[in-house]
Amino acid sequence: MNNNSSNHDCSSNSNSTSSLVNSNSAGGRVADRRDLGSHFLGLARLGAAWAPGPVDEAEESPTELNTINSSGGFLVVSTDKLSVKYTGVNLHGHDVGVVQGNRPAPVRRFAYYFEIYVKDAGVKGQIGIGFTSENFKMRRQPGWEPNSCGYHGDDGFLYRGQGKGEPFGPTYTSGDKVGAGINYATQEFFFTKNNTVVGTVYKDMKGPLFPTVSVHSQNEEIDVNFGQKPFAFDIKAYEVQERMRQQATIEKISLPPNISYGIVRSYLLHYGYEDTLSSFDMASKSTIPPISLDQENGFDEQEILYALNQRKTLRQLIQNGEIDAAFSKLRDWYPQVIQDEKSATCFLLHCQKFIELVRVGALEEAIKYGRVELSRFFDMASFKDLVQDCVSLMAYEYPKESFAGYLLEESQREVVADTVNAMILATNPSAKDFQGCLHSYLERLLRQLTACCLERRSLNGDQGEAFHLHRVLHNSNTRC
Amino acid sequence: MAQMSMLFSMGSSKKVITKEEWEKRLNDVKIRKEDMNKLVMNFLVTEGYVDAAEKFRMESGTEPDIDLTTITDRMAVKKAVQCGNVEDAIEKVNDLNPEILDTNPQLFFHLQQQRLIELIRNGKVEEALEFAQEELAPRGEENQSFLEELERTVALLAFEDVSNCPVGDLLDMSQRLKTASEVNAAILTSQSHEKDPKLPSLLKMLVWAQNQLDEKAVYPRINDLSTAKLEDPSIS
Repeated sequence: MNNNSSNHDCSSNSNSTSSLVNSNSAGGRVADRRDLGSHFLGLARLGAAWAPGPVDEAEESPTELNTINSSGGFLVVSTDKLSVKYTGVNLHGHDVGVVQGNRPAPVRRFAYYFEIYVKDAGVKGQIGIGFTSENFKMRRQPGWEPNSCGYHGDDGFLYRGQGKGEPFGPTYTSGDKVGAGINYATQEFFFTKNNTVVGTVYKDMKGPLFPTVSVHSQNEEIDVNFGQKPFAFDIKAYEVQERMRQQATIEKISLPPNISYGIVRSYLLHYGYEDTLSSFDMASKSTIPPISLDQENGFDEQEILYALNQRKTLRQLIQNGEIDAAFSKLRDWYPQVIQDEKSATCFLLHCQKFIELVRVGALEEAIKYGRVELSRFFDMASFKDLVQDCVSLMAYEYPKESFAGYLLEESQREVVADTVNAMILATNPSAKDFQGCLHSYLERLLRQLTACCLERRSLNGDQGEAFHLHRVLHNSNTRC
Repeated sequence: MAQMSMLFSMGSSKKVITKEEWEKRLNDVKIRKEDMNKLVMNFLVTEGYVDAAEKFRMESGTEPDIDLTTITDRMAVKKAVQCGNVEDAIEKVNDLNPEILDTNPQLFFHLQQQRLIELIRNGKVEEALEFAQEELAPRGEENQSFLEELERTVALLAFEDVSNCPVGDLLDMSQRLKTASEVNAAILTSQSHEKDPKLPSLLKMLVWAQNQLDEKAVYPRINDLSTAKLEDPSIS
């Protein structure tokens, strides 16, 4: 391996300030090692920061036509700004009556869609529907100029900024309902006629896109529906279908055999769920066909086998709220983990002890304990928030219902148990890197998944739905 | 060094994200332990690890999304098919919920087909023929694909050495496993539970998301899911 390609290698001659695990004697931590447990401080207050569910970023949608930036002279927009009529007599290509929506299409969603109803196709039926950029020349059909795209009624052609169209869908005329949409997941425009998709085309335009309609011959008249009325096209069903299509593509990807099995097993090992693990192993011996994880499969379990039984015992104690007992076991087994009284691990354990006292209503004892063990953390920036939350529990008759009530959840005990678990893994003299102590394989894979989805969305100009693992897990359909 | 040379050799318009930057982003992603526990529980439950699911409930405090006793029944059915006791399996499914077979003619046919296969495997030629004529042939009349499968299965009888015949795959273990997993899925569906665990879907999604991002950026990938090792970004 390239020596300077990774700063997480355990190389004895490293002079960097990077994270190193190299404990060769009990309590003998490398001096430049940061406090590993501080990783869990963020998780400990996650309960406080977490909103009930991820909220979709609100974006305003177009609601009416923009009467200021339209090609005046040739068209009349109704007073409700939802209908357009061509009033002139067209002489050439620059006489188009074109008008945009008052806002660009919102992007942080799966798809955007709007519709027109052709009231009167007029003399020539030269109606257009599509999307244009902000500085579109308001004398031309959408699609005739660069950075625009339009589906035209008289020839059914699609125009994409070339002036020359391509055969696309059927023509449309009086009485038809025609729609234009953007599918942000596939980065495509799609058009509909009378509730059926007539075609899709890759969206090669960047930046804000305005829903745009145009009329170009005498008496042409259309109504625009920005969603103020039900659409003729079932956009909800379309979304469901598109999601399923994407899901089907993903499901076709093949995985190495038994990969999920191996990841689950390593998860149980990592967090010290020893009883689950033995049942799991027992059962997998009798499955048909029996599951075997070969070395060639890549799983390296040596590191997470370390101290399995002790880690399990400590987890149980902490999850039962027996913090004193956990401290005492740690003193016996891994004194180095709690050696530094100002470490995140000690801090989290002391907080939990305090929380347990509050839980059983032993407030006086809690106060005493807090004065001895928590007061020193008040002026340490990274600990301040959590310690304040802890102390504030005492101010409420029903602490569970207070803003700091999250501290009394089971998940809080689990964070502390996970911290101790990671710290013990880090005492393993043959531990290769920090990531392995802090994060299970499963967590690393899920973080990579989330980071990839976020990065991809950001490179797409924040278009499409945001990825929330939590939401994916609670929906029956996974999505990105 | 590796990263530096890569930055310079990038000719395309792809965004380059160094390992350091990427690790920062990964650290900003907070995965809830509770969500991971649920994912693991969902795997144990769906795959039928009932004892492990029970232990995991105790050790992690995660509630399963299905009544654990139903797993035992489901696994008993699955096991019966895997061992070739198809009659027993059919009886068990009907005990569990008679609607499952009533509403799944295809599943019922496959179970009957499996029963026929087992009869042939055990050399019970007369019984097999009788069973095929009485139970399977009428169904074949209703459905063309059933008929084809029936013909394929009966063809087993035409060969002295079935291990070397064109339809010999019907006698493979994989055929039992296929039927078993079909029953398993049908039972899960009848319990309004998804028939597949979520974890493999998420792993596939990771592969997909990485492939998608490849089109726009060069970044540290995870190529080997089993080690979750972050590779150095490369332009190859």
